[in-house]
Amino acid sequence: MRRLTFLVREAVSSLRRNLLVVTAAVVSVFISLALVFGALVLSELVRENTARWQEGDHIIVFLNDVPDQTELSLQEEVQGWSEVASITYCDKACAYQEFKEMFADQPSLLNVDPSVLPASLRIKLHNIDTYKDVTYRLIGNPAIRRVVTASEQFDQLSAVTKALNWLALGLAIVLGVASIVLIANTIRMAIYARRDEISVMRLVGASNWFIRVPFLLEGMVQGLTGAFLAVVAVWIGQSYVTNHISPTFLIRLTVDRGFLVSWSLAILVFGALAGVVGSATGVRRFLKV
Amino acid sequence: MILLEGVTKVYEGGTVALRDIDLDVKKGEFLFVVGPSGSGKSTLISLLLRELRVTRGKIWVAGKDITKMPAWKIPHLRRSVGTVFQDYKLLPNRTVTENVGFALEVLGRPRAVVTRQVQQVLELVGLQTKGDRYPRQLSGGEQQRVSVARAFVNRPPILLADEPTGNLDPATSVGIMRVLDRVNRTGTTVVMATHDHAIVDAMRRRVVQLDRGRIIRDETRGTYESVSGRGDGDA
Repeated sequence: MRRLTFLVREAVSSLRRNLLVVTAAVVSVFISLALVFGALVLSELVRENTARWQEGDHIIVFLNDVPDQTELSLQEEVQGWSEVASITYCDKACAYQEFKEMFADQPSLLNVDPSVLPASLRIKLHNIDTYKDVTYRLIGNPAIRRVVTASEQFDQLSAVTKALNWLALGLAIVLGVASIVLIANTIRMAIYARRDEISVMRLVGASNWFIRVPFLLEGMVQGLTGAFLAVVAVWIGQSYVTNHISPTFLIRLTVDRGFLVSWSLAILVFGALAGVVGSATGVRRFLKV
Repeated sequence: MILLEGVTKVYEGGTVALRDIDLDVKKGEFLFVVGPSGSGKSTLISLLLRELRVTRGKIWVAGKDITKMPAWKIPHLRRSVGTVFQDYKLLPNRTVTENVGFALEVLGRPRAVVTRQVQQVLELVGLQTKGDRYPRQLSGGEQQRVSVARAFVNRPPILLADEPTGNLDPATSVGIMRVLDRVNRTGTTVVMATHDHAIVDAMRRRVVQLDRGRIIRDETRGTYESVSGRGDGDA
C-alpha cells in the first residue's frame, strides 16, 4: 500500500515535471483518436444513409390473369426464400388506385378499364445484391408476365456503398495504427529524457516492475486524457452538425446516440491501452540488465 | 563478503579486460583497487553489480553466487551493495533529502522510517542542514557526499566506489575519504577503485593493483606505487 502511494505520487509528479512532452503526447493522442472517431462516425452515416436509400420495393412481379389460388401459392413460395424480407400483393383494384395516383394530372389516361391492369407482387430484399438470383428464379414461371427491377441503379448504389464503407473503415484503421505509433514514440521520448532517473532507480535496487509502473500509469493517463478530449470533440462536432445544418431529404447527418456512446467508451479504452502499450515498449529497452 | 575465482572478462570484439582474477575481500575490509586507466578497475566494479557478466569464473557477493543469479533477483543484489560514482548520479530535480530517500522509497519503507534514516545518514556525511537544497546548489564535494549518503542509507553490507574523488580537488577528496572511512567503521566492506595516489598513500589500507587485467600486487597496508623491497605480485 505504501509502495502503491509512492508509485502513484511518482507518476503524478513526473506528469507535472515533464509538462511539455506530456502535452505533446496528449495532443497527438487527441488528434489521431479524434480523426479515428470522426472516420467511424462518417462510416456510420454512410451506412445509415445508404440503408435508407435502399428502402422501398426492390422487385415488382407483374402477374398474368391466373386464378387466385395460383397467385397465393406463388406468394407463399417466394415468401419462403431466404433473400426475401417481405412480399406484398397488389391486386387489380390496387393497381388501378396506383395508376390513378400516378397519372392524376393527365385525366385523359384515366378512362382505362381496371381489369386490364395486371396484379403484382412487391418484393423487398434483405440485401439488394441478391436481386439477380431472385429475378432469375422468378422468370419462366407461367403465372408471371414480367419481372421489373431497378437493376442498374442497384448495382451502382451497392458499388458506391461499398466504396464509401471501405474508405471510412480504411481511414479509421490507418489513423488508429498511426495513433499507437505516435503515442509509443512520444512516450519513448519522455522516457529517454528520463533515462538517468531510470539508471539511478536500477542502481539503488528498484525492481523492474517498480520502475515500470509509474511510466505505465503515466502512459495510461496520457492516453486516457487524449481519448477523452477526442470523444468530447466528436460529440461537440456531431451536435454542431445536427443543430446547425438542416438535414436534406436525401442525407441524414445525425448518428444514433447508442452508436456514439458505445464507440466513445471503446475510444477511451483504446486510448488507455495505447498509452500503456506505448510506454511499456518505450521503457523496455532501458530495463535490460 | 566478496570472492572472485578465476574471473575473466572478454568484451565483444575480443578486448580482454580481466584475466583470471582471484580475490577475497573479508567483511569490514577497506580495499583500494588501483591501476592506470584501462587496467580493468571499472570492469571489476561493473561485474560486482552484475551490470556485466563474467566470461569465465565465479563471483560471490554477500554469500550469493551472482554469476548464476536470475535477472529478477539482481535488484536484491543491488540493495545489498551501495554504489558511488565519479559523476554522483544524483537526480537534478529532487532535493538532497529526496535523492537520499529514493533508495528507501523503492524498498517500500514507511515514511517515518525514511525520514529518520535519511536524517541519520545526512548527519553521518555532514549535510544535515542542506536537506532542502537541490544538487545544483551544492559543491562537487557536497554532491558526492549526498551520493555516499544515498548508497549507505539502507545500511548495505558492501559499498562500491568507482573513482569517487575523480572530479574533486585534493582538499575535498580528503573530506569524502573521511566519510567513507566512517562508513567502513560501521562494519561495511568498502571497495574503492581509484588512481588518486595521495589518498591511497594517506589511508594505508589494503591495495590491489591491476595492470592490463591482471592483479600484479596485493598488500594489506599498501601505497599506490609498489615500494621497493616489498616486491611486485606477492600478497
